[in-house]
Amino acid sequence: MSSITQPLSMTPWKQGIKDAIPLLGGYIPVAISFGLISVQSGFSVLETILISTFIYAGASQFLFVAMVASGAPLWLVIIMTLLINARHVVYGPNLAPYLTKDARWGPLMHGLTDQIFAIAHTRLPQMPSETRISWYTGAATLAWLSWIGGSALGAIAGDELMQRWPLINDVLPFALPALFFVLIVPRCNNLQWTVTIAGAAACAMLLKVFGFPNIAIPAAALCGALAFYALKYTGKQGAHS
Amino acid sequence: MSHTIWITLLTIAIGTYLIRLLPYLWMARKLERENTQEGIANMPSWLTILGPTMIAAMFGTSLVPGHPSVTTWFATFVGVMMTYLVWRRTRSMGWPIFSGVAVFGVVVVLLG
Repeated sequence: MSSITQPLSMTPWKQGIKDAIPLLGGYIPVAISFGLISVQSGFSVLETILISTFIYAGASQFLFVAMVASGAPLWLVIIMTLLINARHVVYGPNLAPYLTKDARWGPLMHGLTDQIFAIAHTRLPQMPSETRISWYTGAATLAWLSWIGGSALGAIAGDELMQRWPLINDVLPFALPALFFVLIVPRCNNLQWTVTIAGAAACAMLLKVFGFPNIAIPAAALCGALAFYALKYTGKQGAHS
Repeated sequence: MSHTIWITLLTIAIGTYLIRLLPYLWMARKLERENTQEGIANMPSWLTILGPTMIAAMFGTSLVPGHPSVTTWFATFVGVMMTYLVWRRTRSMGWPIFSGVAVFGVVVVLLG
């Protein structure tokens, strides 16, 4: 997460698309699964595509179709799906210092998913400020279209795809941990950050393994932040004694 | 889909968009009021720490295989090691991810 800016080797749009390509390995298999489950839950192909276009948040969409199909009260569906997305509140403020004043950032915030945040948080500080909006537009548009396209594919032919090429679902999703790893490992340049990052990752993994996938990210991020401050405090205490 | 489900869908879509938009607008206006070139220096420190820890947490959750077994956990470990080794050599994004996925896939296919 270097703050040294470097000129891009291609147009910002193309660079954004190139940087977002690893996301497809994670997005498309999950989107195909969503499309398949949505149709099996009674939604039409068009409705499935519109859900992915407008909500554009993986866990929320799975919860939405599952709760609606099970006949849950709609006010509860709204509360639960928005609660799952509450972690997104820290993404925009973290990117704000790197974004130039431009009204187009408003609509572009629709594309601020977990993965786009992770790439943007690492890449935006490294590029000249005037290229950032084009880079973000390229990366976010590719991710959004791949999510919509994957959902459509899943709704139309998901069952057959999963049977014919099961490796799509088994292997390609590893692109996501590999991507997050490449984005976060440069941060581990001192003991305090290494322990913080490792602690947050381990905590998130354990929470997911033990059946709490929806609170894993915000809870583990908070644990990591607490570890950061604890190490900072004990470091200061050690220096004073 | 009934009218009430459409309204529910639109409410969730607008709510999700606002969760992404409003905190950005709040911080952008705060930075503009303070009128500084070094925006990051004026951000609350807890927020600058939560950004990387959120990414670390996403990494942690994504490590859990879709179908957990000894083979997929082993493949995950080998895939992360390969990603790290190639990253150390190239300091780039594409090749480490490609190598990690390839090795993960080979282990899953050979041992699965």
